[in-house]
Amino acid sequence: MATVEASAAMVEAIAGARRRDQLRFRSIFFATWLVLVGIIVGGLAAAGKVDLEFLGEHQAFVLGGIPVTILVAASSIVIAVAFAIIGALGRLSTNAVIYGLASFYVSLVRGTPLLVQILFVYLALPQIWIEFAKIPLIALGIFALAFNYGAYMTEIFRAGIQAIPRGQLEAAAAIGMTGRLTMRRIILPQAVRIVTPAIGNEFIAMIKDSALVSIIGVQELLWRAQRAGTPEFRLLEALLLAALVYWILTIVFSVLQDRLEKRMAESDRRL
Amino acid sequence: MSHRTPGLAKIGALALIAAFAAVACAGSSNDDLLAKVKAADKIVMSTDPEYPPQSSLAADGSYEGFDIDVGTEIAKRLGVEIAFETPSWEAITAGSWAGRWDFSVGSMTITTDREKVISFSSPYYYTPAQMAVLPDSGITSLDGLAGKVICVGEGTTYLQWLDGTLDFGTATPQTKPPEGATATTLKSDRNCAESWQAGRRDFDGWLSSVTTVQGAIDAGLPVMKLGDPVFSEPLAVAFDKGGADPASIVTEVNKLLDAMRSDGTLKALSEKWFGEDLTTKVGG
Repeated sequence: MATVEASAAMVEAIAGARRRDQLRFRSIFFATWLVLVGIIVGGLAAAGKVDLEFLGEHQAFVLGGIPVTILVAASSIVIAVAFAIIGALGRLSTNAVIYGLASFYVSLVRGTPLLVQILFVYLALPQIWIEFAKIPLIALGIFALAFNYGAYMTEIFRAGIQAIPRGQLEAAAAIGMTGRLTMRRIILPQAVRIVTPAIGNEFIAMIKDSALVSIIGVQELLWRAQRAGTPEFRLLEALLLAALVYWILTIVFSVLQDRLEKRMAESDRRL
Repeated sequence: MSHRTPGLAKIGALALIAAFAAVACAGSSNDDLLAKVKAADKIVMSTDPEYPPQSSLAADGSYEGFDIDVGTEIAKRLGVEIAFETPSWEAITAGSWAGRWDFSVGSMTITTDREKVISFSSPYYYTPAQMAVLPDSGITSLDGLAGKVICVGEGTTYLQWLDGTLDFGTATPQTKPPEGATATTLKSDRNCAESWQAGRRDFDGWLSSVTTVQGAIDAGLPVMKLGDPVFSEPLAVAFDKGGADPASIVTEVNKLLDAMRSDGTLKALSEKWFGEDLTTKVGG
């Protein structure tokens, strides 16, 4: 009786202390960030490198690139996942031709710079067939990014698929499931859960790499920052604004990814 | 994995390659560009909106500038709508536009190199090329830049002049570049001036059009004109030789430009954007 209440009070005290410690840690963490950001902004302002009037005038135009950036990044990652699954299956194939094709894809695409690939898609495709020139630039950009990331994610998916215990494959075969059915119903659903954190990371990297499609004229965030800043000799301010936006987007999607991972891991956590 | 017919994959791959080969052999269509533009009731113009006063972005995201106005006027006189594309300058000067846009009113200089891939109209205006230095550099004449580094924009005639490869194909006298001077490039002419403003001293000279240099001086950048303009370049409307045949549209546009010259439209636009009439040829 008395001992139970005492233990209960002790548990409460310990939980409370732990909460306070966590709160203190978080507050100091945020304060550190604020100080660092303050130092950077203060330093730039002191050096006269931040023209607020220019930013005020052009921010609407530059920020208008955010939807384009997100669209490019999101579409590319979805298509990249498709490329990655096909590539992973190819890399796991026992057929020499398919294995050869998949390995060639991974090796070639990982072995050339992404910027070169984007320019190649822009310049070389119409040489093969003139009608390719009618493809909208944003679609070309998305394709180039997806094709590139698909090669890198192929290895992620291959590892995810191979992580499924052999016992499950054997059990599936024992009850008469075909290879394709096993892949579709047993392996891929579990592999998706394993690779989701990695895909989240790739998406966040993709948000930054989407800036490269500005080279072929897609009017996303970086393109707009350059066009707003260069004519008025204020490229630095414009690029600072763009960098800040990329950073904020990265933070937002990192938090979302964190939440998604926690949600997916719920079945693993104890009550 | 599952057992597959081994030949199926190979047949599929061969079919794909055959299809590609077939379409690759199909040559480009030989339509007439003017007919194509009239049929579509639209002409697409390329522009690089980093160059006020020739082309820049208004606050609402639309394009404005001397080149924009000239292009719009040409489209109006052709009786078609105008639309804009924004490829990089190097993509425009390289030709082989693959039909992505129909013409360029982008202050492109007529040079014999470019004429291999580009069909030019008659010049619609002329710009002197002006050398600039920092006021505290102590350089007072072109000779002072001998052996030094000069900054220019990528893909510009200013770069060609420094490399000694600039050729207008006319007898326009050109000053010689400073002895032993080398060029360095940044993406756009203005980036050179901004680099100086940021305190960098990677180069001693800056070569660009007189309007751009004056723009930098007016914006309060630490830039000083050095000597007289080193050459005056004829700027024309450009068409791709590698696509639909531009012969008839070039003739048509030349007629329109003559009309715009005689009724004073070109002069008025030049004075509106540059504050002076640059549309008549100066000097040799």
